[in-house]
Amino acid sequence: MSAALDRRALELLPAGPRLVSHDAAVFALREKRDAAGRSEPDFERLRDYAREAKAHALDHLDGNLERFEARATAAGAVVHWAEDAPALNRIVHELLDARGARSVVKSKSMLTEECGLNPYLESRGIEVVDTDLGERIVQLGHEPPSHIIMPAIHRTREDIGALFARELDVPAGETDPARLTEAARRHLRGHFLGADAAITGVNFAVAESGTIVVVTNEGNADLGMSLPPLHIACLGIEKVIPRVADLAVFLRLLARSATGQPISVYTSLVTGPRPGAELHVVLVDNGRTRLLADEQHRRALGCIRCGACLNTCPVYRRAGGYAYGYAIPGPIGAVLAPALGGTDERRGLPLASTLCGSCSAVCPVKIDLHEQLIAWRATDVPRGRRERVLARIAAAVFERPALYRIAGRAARWVWPAVSRRWPGNPASPWLAARALPAHPGASFRERWRACVRGADR
Amino acid sequence: MSAREQILARVRAASGHASPAPAAFVPSARRSDFTAFAQLLVAAGGEAHGPFSAGELAARVADLCRAWSGGVRVLATDAAFARLGDGPWQPVSTEADPHTLADVSVAILCGAFGVAENGAIGLDGREAKPRALPVLCERLILLLDTSTIFPDMHAALAGLPDGALAQHHFTFVAGPSKTADIEGVLVLGAHGPRELAVFGVGL
Amino acid sequence: MLERLGCTVSFDPRQTCCGQPFVTTGARAEAVRLARAHASVFAGAAAVVCPSASCVATVRRRYADLLGADQAEALAARTFELGEFIVLRLGTSDVGAVFPHRVALLESCHGLRELGLGRPSEQLGSVVDEVGITERLLRGVTGLELRSVSRRDECCGFGGAFSVGFPELSARIGRDKLRALAESGASFVTGTDASCLLHLDALRAREGFGPRAIHLAEILASRGGA
Repeated sequence: MSAALDRRALELLPAGPRLVSHDAAVFALREKRDAAGRSEPDFERLRDYAREAKAHALDHLDGNLERFEARATAAGAVVHWAEDAPALNRIVHELLDARGARSVVKSKSMLTEECGLNPYLESRGIEVVDTDLGERIVQLGHEPPSHIIMPAIHRTREDIGALFARELDVPAGETDPARLTEAARRHLRGHFLGADAAITGVNFAVAESGTIVVVTNEGNADLGMSLPPLHIACLGIEKVIPRVADLAVFLRLLARSATGQPISVYTSLVTGPRPGAELHVVLVDNGRTRLLADEQHRRALGCIRCGACLNTCPVYRRAGGYAYGYAIPGPIGAVLAPALGGTDERRGLPLASTLCGSCSAVCPVKIDLHEQLIAWRATDVPRGRRERVLARIAAAVFERPALYRIAGRAARWVWPAVSRRWPGNPASPWLAARALPAHPGASFRERWRACVRGADR
Repeated sequence: MSAREQILARVRAASGHASPAPAAFVPSARRSDFTAFAQLLVAAGGEAHGPFSAGELAARVADLCRAWSGGVRVLATDAAFARLGDGPWQPVSTEADPHTLADVSVAILCGAFGVAENGAIGLDGREAKPRALPVLCERLILLLDTSTIFPDMHAALAGLPDGALAQHHFTFVAGPSKTADIEGVLVLGAHGPRELAVFGVGL
Repeated sequence: MLERLGCTVSFDPRQTCCGQPFVTTGARAEAVRLARAHASVFAGAAAVVCPSASCVATVRRRYADLLGADQAEALAARTFELGEFIVLRLGTSDVGAVFPHRVALLESCHGLRELGLGRPSEQLGSVVDEVGITERLLRGVTGLELRSVSRRDECCGFGGAFSVGFPELSARIGRDKLRALAESGASFVTGTDASCLLHLDALRAREGFGPRAIHLAEILASRGGA
């Protein structure tokens, strides 16, 4: 059982005002999604279409990838293929190194987080500046993003003010979000103007036109794509969709599901490089073909990285992103981790869920997230020897009604002892926050038998 | 085998399922007039002006340029110039090094069309040159023909100008740049323009 | 209560467990065995009624994977949560119950999102604002004042094995739920799942505040007083 996440939650998001405001801030996004969906009559139909469209796109992914590559290349982009994280990092580094690029501006890309691109480049002497405000905040704080849309949602304005006072020369004690943002604007402008290259993520890649679509609210990706002579766009292979027409559905769902906006501020459809500049597109596998081959789990590749599942998850909101120990937290992270996460501990992430099903209910592409978690529990989630033995014993008892009744009687007999707190009581973790239910007296079947006897004519 | 071959081979092996393409999506009917568009634009933090007749337009735009920057360092694209004629704006060289545009107070461009569903304006890369102009400027003015407003994104993407996806970029801009990364508090003017004003043209 | 409503009720003592804890902990082989046993115990029953929505959800939603679609379908069609049996099969939402108290409804996740006993708050779009099955039954109880709860369908944090493997997070979620229930002004909290209710009661015993848990069946069987 993965209690590591439970312990990390306790440590990294301790109970108190921080926990309360984290939960509230993240849930506010869920409420915004609800409001946006309620005021859009097409919302539920869009979700149905999106699910079918993604299923269809994945079924024809090979053809879509080839067509995308051909059209993008014809438009002047250079398309690269990376089998895994090390390959992505190498390709990006080589592109930068060959051009003597030393300073890079980067807009949000969960894929590059997943692959650890920043540390790879930094250890080779390349300055990588994350330009999304939330990403810059966590970068300056030497920590990873804790949410896929709002990277610094776990930080208070006081935290950020203190950070900016240290790093950006903002007066000590400044906590006004507008003034802090202004300071970041000035600071990052210099980086945009001086950058040798820009790295961006890609929200969607359209096969029929060879177009990559990059979406932001801040305009940071567009600044990156407008200024330096080199643009490197990184995407997971599952982002390729066949037609421009499908884009309408996904764009109508993405911002509404993520932040409650009808559309993000900047939606850039990029086909080929800027005149006089270079565009390199890197298609990354990193375990996605493994998921694609899995009948039960390939649906998870339909994810458009909106974050709605995080916002609605009672566990994520009270654990915080860091507790997951994986670049992508929350329900979608737990669904992807067994295939893409790479460690035993991450394979246990599907256990970090009450299976309430709220995630599946908000997913814009209708991925059955909670069912995927149940499925992973039966296959890839590591189960210790003790656990397996216990399950076998319990099942053996439950399969035999007579044994079941005896076990029930035994449990009721030791109940008072187990309910009390004493050192070594295996029920201790439970008892720390709760009492055990009161002694049930008799079992249902004992009462039933008494009832029936009493009613016997 | 190259990485490309390996990846494609794995994808091919995993594909071949028969899920059908969904039937074309039919969106609900909605308005596509300037008022409807303006409502969404304003909700996104933008300003809507007009609609004005072609004759009145230049004077109104000039008023705003003066209010915003005293008429200093205002650049207009060729197409915008063609619409407005002379005023407190300078032409911008499409070949200019974008880094020289860092001090632009106001940029004036023509939008290809509007989208009523979300207050977005389509910026065609062939008009929005240099690409950095509408993102680097402090404040942005977009001119929009009120007869070129689509009801929703389906219509907009079906109605992209010819060749829009055969050249570098086509960008939807829906309001001034913004962020809510600090405690979810909305702040306008993150990296892109702090303010966006759309002038409807056509009466 | 069911007999009062005209049903012939029997209890088969061979039953033990539908297998839900084995499904959720990934013990699939064991889950299959228990599902088979469960299916065989109830093979002849015209209707299987269960006062636990999560167990019914296991039979209706998980058994297809464990037993194959055909066998599962047949059993699923005959398996009902108590409240939905009364409303949908017996066709009434007034069972003559009397319970003059302020009550908050705990809309347990399985009943809500897997069985459709109410409308999940995530579901948007132009759906007629229908009153859910459980709520309808409670509104049919004489004297009962139903209180609204903020974040009405957020999970209670029990999640079965989750509360054992992740006790801290489970308690955090549960405490917030308890607070929301307390703020509703209800004296009682009710629902379709004893497990959720027991979890809340267990927290209440530690925290010292919050409405008392009482199962839906107890309310429906009540003729006055508590």
